[in-house]
Amino acid sequence: MKNRKIAWLCVLTSLMMMLFASASAQTAVFGDAGWDSMKFHNAVAMLIAKEAYGMDSEEMSGSTAITYNALKRGDIHIYTETWTDSIAPYQQDVADGKIIELGINYDDNIQGLYVPRYVIEGDESRGIVPMAPDLKTVADLKDYPHLFPDPEDPGKGRIYGAISGWMVDEIMRKKVEFYGLDSLYNYMDPGSDPALAAAIVGAYEKGDPIVAYYWEPAWITGKYDLVLLEDAPYEPELYLKGECACPSIKLTVCVNPEFYQNNPEFCEFLSKYATSSALTSEALAYMNDYDADYPETAHWFLQQHPELLDQWLPEDKAELVRSAL
Amino acid sequence: MPEWFTRFPQALSLDIKKPIDDAIEYMVQNWGGFFDGVSDTLRALLLWVRTAVNIIPWWALIATVFVLTLKTSGRLSRALLYAGLLLFVGIIGLWEMMYATLTIIVTSVILSLLLGFPLGVLISFSDRASRLVRPVLDTMQTMPSFVYLIPAVMLLGLGNVPAVIATIIYAMPPIVRMTSHGIRQVDREVVEAAQSFGSTRFQLLTKVLIPQAMPTIMAGVNQTIMMAISMVVTCSMIGATGLGSEVLKGINRLESGRGFAAGTAIVIVAIIIDRLTQGFAKGGVEHAE
Repeated sequence: MKNRKIAWLCVLTSLMMMLFASASAQTAVFGDAGWDSMKFHNAVAMLIAKEAYGMDSEEMSGSTAITYNALKRGDIHIYTETWTDSIAPYQQDVADGKIIELGINYDDNIQGLYVPRYVIEGDESRGIVPMAPDLKTVADLKDYPHLFPDPEDPGKGRIYGAISGWMVDEIMRKKVEFYGLDSLYNYMDPGSDPALAAAIVGAYEKGDPIVAYYWEPAWITGKYDLVLLEDAPYEPELYLKGECACPSIKLTVCVNPEFYQNNPEFCEFLSKYATSSALTSEALAYMNDYDADYPETAHWFLQQHPELLDQWLPEDKAELVRSAL
Repeated sequence: MPEWFTRFPQALSLDIKKPIDDAIEYMVQNWGGFFDGVSDTLRALLLWVRTAVNIIPWWALIATVFVLTLKTSGRLSRALLYAGLLLFVGIIGLWEMMYATLTIIVTSVILSLLLGFPLGVLISFSDRASRLVRPVLDTMQTMPSFVYLIPAVMLLGLGNVPAVIATIIYAMPPIVRMTSHGIRQVDREVVEAAQSFGSTRFQLLTKVLIPQAMPTIMAGVNQTIMMAISMVVTCSMIGATGLGSEVLKGINRLESGRGFAAGTAIVIVAIIIDRLTQGFAKGGVEHAE
């Protein structure tokens, strides 16, 4: 009996060692900080890594802080969508050569405070009457705290804020203060991105009013009809004080320096990798509508936009990918 | 070698994701009123507990811990140590957050005991009920919390209410198991003696079985409280306030010091509550003897 157990243990251990051994061969490790546009871009780059460069790749997931640190350490090699303004030490790290910024993935994104469209205009098909027809700007919120009540603090409204640790969270907090909303509303820390998304989806499905921080492109802003509350035009000095609209953030492609030295050809492709907010939204919407996974979506996306391959890749490599599709 | 031998056959596939999604969407859209009611009730209880907890001044809490430790352990040094540790939580600036955390823990534990104790008594009498309930308890303890937290947020909104529900799901099983276990362990002869003196079933339960099982039940209470404390950080990921959210902020901003400070406060709270409830359990044993 005992011997048999030991034999089984040996078999299991050797199996696991084989698994680890195969994983430790030179594979490109993509960082997945948890939101879907990044996972989608990872899937596209991973497809190209496999078909054009014959590289194995895998994803490692974690929070922004943890995966970003892993990128610096070299546990993660590639970050396809770095929200540069959300990572405080980013500029310093690029300057110090701890990470290498290869190029801009896209920089036409939006973020700010959103309300569902039915709050302003109503929705006849769902029998929702307009609740705040004159709500247009962030400043207008001061007239409506009763419309967005905080269940845990009756008498005040609730604004669902950004996730703590993202730089935009500090800016949103200052914005709430700047517009004098802090005496009328509680700015709530949602704790995590999935929780914030679930709160918005829950309210939307019920037809309840909600005002929350979110961003585009994301499947939430793609699937649900949310309206961005207007703000003063962007000014660099005012932005950090929360007194104007958020600018589009540069979303860059970054790699670990060691990976950069060992894989010059692949990094050449990554430095040319560029999409747009519209393209990303299109892919995320497809994924949601057809219940596709990330690799399937990447496959479909490259079929739809073969011209991107010519922009990103040398002719022979582009051909390799095209034939694989 | 045929394909199906080495790879799991593709023909055997069933999509359970979509029906679950649809069911949750249906519940959110159509049962909103019911869940709002649940949510309001829990919130009222939470506010009530919060008021009750916040009435206690800081020195009174420290003094209470001092006196209780002295009484249950009989050692002055230990009483001084625990009072000092609690004072330390205040000194590192986390006193109010500790109260917010205690509010959630106390509410969850009260509800876990209210639901779990009767259930434990019930399944101690029936083997069949016990067989049915056991896998449910196993699921409650092993299902990753975020799996049900996200639908809970959709149904109940963000904040302390779904946090309490998640905590109950995770913390209730020990009290159910230990109550049932304790009652089953009571000596048959004691039970027969009580019956021969003509005690009714209710008397048997309240005067013999539960008192005899008390040490085991108290161990269950202790475990339930500990598991409730272990959910503190997870709950902060759905907007619960207190020490957990402080840990989360520390993690999210890579501020290790902040994380450790709040983490230490959680450890202190856990140790004090654990030793105190264990002391009570032991006190119960002496009393029974």
